[in-house]
Amino acid sequence: MSNSKHPVMGKVRQAWMRHWQGRPPSAGLLTAAFFGAAIMIIPVVYVVSLAAEAGPGAWSRLFTTRVPTLWWNTFALTISVTAASVTIGGLLAFLTLRTDLPGRGLFRWLLAVPLAVPPYIGALAYILVFGPRGLWFQWLGSAPVDIYGFVGAFWVLTLFTYPYTYLITSAALRRLNQNFEEAGLSCGVPYWKVLLTVTLKLLRPSLGAGAVLTALYVLSDFGAIAMLRYNTFTRAIYYQMTGRFDQSAAAVLSLLLMVVTVLVLTVERFTRAQQAFRQDSGTYRKPQLIKLGHLRWPSLVFLGLILFSAVLLPIAVLLYWTVLGWNQGTVDARFWQFAWNSFSSAAAAALLCVLLALPLTYLKSRYPSRSTAALLRIAYGGYALPGVIVALGIMIVYDRFLPVFYGSLSMLILALTVRFLPQSMQSQDAALELVSPRLDEAARSMGQTPLGVLYRVIFPAILPGAAAGGALAFVSALKELPAALLLRPAGFDTLSVRIWMESVEGFYAYAAPAALLLIAVSMLPLRLILNRY
Amino acid sequence: MKIQPLVVLLVFFVAAGAVAEASQLVIYSGRNERFVMPLIEAFQEETGIRVQLLSGDAAQYVHRLQAERNNPRADVFISNDGALLEVARSMDLLMANDSEALEAIPEQYRAPDGAWVGLAARTRVLMYNKDMTTEEEMPASVWDLADPQWHGQFLITRPGNASMVSHISALRVVHGDETTKNFLRGLMDNEPTIVRGHTDIRRAVGAGEYAFGLVNNYYYHLQLEEPRDNHVGAVYPDQGEGEMGAFVNVSGVGLVNGAPNAANALQFIDYLLQPEPMYLYSYNSRETPLVPDIEAVSDAKRIDEYRAAELPLGQLGPMYNTTLDLMEAAGFGE
Repeated sequence: MSNSKHPVMGKVRQAWMRHWQGRPPSAGLLTAAFFGAAIMIIPVVYVVSLAAEAGPGAWSRLFTTRVPTLWWNTFALTISVTAASVTIGGLLAFLTLRTDLPGRGLFRWLLAVPLAVPPYIGALAYILVFGPRGLWFQWLGSAPVDIYGFVGAFWVLTLFTYPYTYLITSAALRRLNQNFEEAGLSCGVPYWKVLLTVTLKLLRPSLGAGAVLTALYVLSDFGAIAMLRYNTFTRAIYYQMTGRFDQSAAAVLSLLLMVVTVLVLTVERFTRAQQAFRQDSGTYRKPQLIKLGHLRWPSLVFLGLILFSAVLLPIAVLLYWTVLGWNQGTVDARFWQFAWNSFSSAAAAALLCVLLALPLTYLKSRYPSRSTAALLRIAYGGYALPGVIVALGIMIVYDRFLPVFYGSLSMLILALTVRFLPQSMQSQDAALELVSPRLDEAARSMGQTPLGVLYRVIFPAILPGAAAGGALAFVSALKELPAALLLRPAGFDTLSVRIWMESVEGFYAYAAPAALLLIAVSMLPLRLILNRY
Repeated sequence: MKIQPLVVLLVFFVAAGAVAEASQLVIYSGRNERFVMPLIEAFQEETGIRVQLLSGDAAQYVHRLQAERNNPRADVFISNDGALLEVARSMDLLMANDSEALEAIPEQYRAPDGAWVGLAARTRVLMYNKDMTTEEEMPASVWDLADPQWHGQFLITRPGNASMVSHISALRVVHGDETTKNFLRGLMDNEPTIVRGHTDIRRAVGAGEYAFGLVNNYYYHLQLEEPRDNHVGAVYPDQGEGEMGAFVNVSGVGLVNGAPNAANALQFIDYLLQPEPMYLYSYNSRETPLVPDIEAVSDAKRIDEYRAAELPLGQLGPMYNTTLDLMEAAGFGE
């Protein structure tokens, strides 16, 4: 159809071409990218709609009784864990990169290891030692602290989230230009003042990014919080979902939790916009290491304490109980069946993540436009969604549109995909930046369709990046607890589900081998994460 | 590497999952898995029927059965709470079962159409640590839990626990909504420690972290058998003249409406009603068998040794949701 015959169509066409700067993506590519973003947003939409449908009775009942406590508990934990975790992470990054601390090369990667320990496993380890009848009690006759409640949740979450800030700040410190600090020093300002004014300011964006990641994690954690008997939104949502056969109350609480999450993300965007500053790479010089002097021993003790609490103690305790379990024969055929369930569902989800991420990241790198940006923002938004909310959304969507498949394994795989798609997008994104668009043009000129180019030419070219993204999604899916608890089909318990069920009942010799296996597998792609920063 | 192998792999993993799903008897169970597994293993061994078990909270599986009603995946619903069995039946999620084997169970403990049948009784008791208090000092009534005298000294389960919900429903039937609500407010003012489940309570009371807790009686028997921390006692509450008596609930099994493996499901339910499995069913959890001929745990009070609240359990089913709302309104909600 030509423009002269259909003036309106012509206008639309012109606007469309302008929108894509004269090079619109093919319908196939757009559909594929749209599909990826839709999978991310649809569950959220239906959680919101179910919350909206909940009668005023449910809202007022929740608001007058549960919500104030939940707000307070959630805020108190999120803020205190974020503050502690960012302080520890930032300090550790500084100590291992900018000082003459002995053994810093080894510490640098050891300090990232807690990233492989999901906090609910960390919580399990701490209950095993400091619980009312834990190892400490058995040796010394009384438990040193009450591990249950705020203190335990705060301690465990801090220990297993500080690596976020640690890694991001380390990366920033490596790029930090010495010139800024020297400018301060040359004016006669003492070094500690320069640190506080200049260096800390330059690090603010990375500390902020670490804080946001930590806060989002605390808001979404279910396992550690529930195991340590603290009560936040995620825990309340989970028990509303399992304790009732009507899920509107769970949807209302989910909506409130999403509001908090959006708040955190807004604060992040706002502060990022305010703190944009660039460093001139042309005059970059490697910074001098600071001599710790008499602070050397306190620093070493601090580092040792963190490593002991976040790495050595949990792994040693789990090893101890695994040996006990092994001797009792808890690592049997059933155990390996659970492991296989975990691996196959996580692998399916990771593969799906890689395939779905491809059109989205490709669109972003080759066809930038406002709609592309919107699609990407939707797709990336999923990383802030707690597992309980994703599970609830998937349940509602299946209930309304796919009732035939309700209760099938596809529910779990889809939930894992929604939850971890952003992780695989990040890695692909970085890899795609390095592939020249000329490769696409060459392939197109050889008669490939646009989607054909993407999957036959681009994909092999970015395979390492895509595989890294897939590996990250895989280990995350492996560790996911609430979605697996809520969505698994009969006879399909995963390792994370078993860890939860066995530790609830106190059968630690069954829980520990599964926990140790999860940690061991999660350590494998740690290099990928370290390389990214 | 091309993309096709990935797609093939994806199909493989999904198919592997689907194969795992294909089975001969699917059970959704709200009962502690430890109590169910030995029975299932015995059943599998005897019949060669492969069982897939899904364990969690019973209320959650009522929701799941409802969502799956047009394409049922489960054959049998095991519930730790009689009211929820009746809820499922009233929602047409269970179907009639005219097997003669059901007649082994007294009539008041099964659905009129046989859609569900109770198997064992559990009584709400106050379990206490004998090193910290004595039977005489203990509260003699559930209502005392709202007495400021016991502030901070005891544990209860989280409100979503089905045994807790039905217990509150029973209070509503006997004393009315207003009285129950006031009781719950007083209970909350006493700031009891609220834990995930009864196992947490029995361990904490056994270890002397708290003086007492509200549990189902068999948790007391389970704690008695622990190698340590077993110096515990139990008070059957509200035994006085004119009081309501201890609340007795049942756990049992229902036949899912449209069960894909209905024949196996019927066989499983019949199997459970034979003397040996019925003994095993009660013995695993230390519950009280509903058939008097079946031997109970030696130190358990027989059902005629104490006053039980006289309530038809079917009556509690329709109250389930409103009881949760009432609990929430009184500040006892998730």
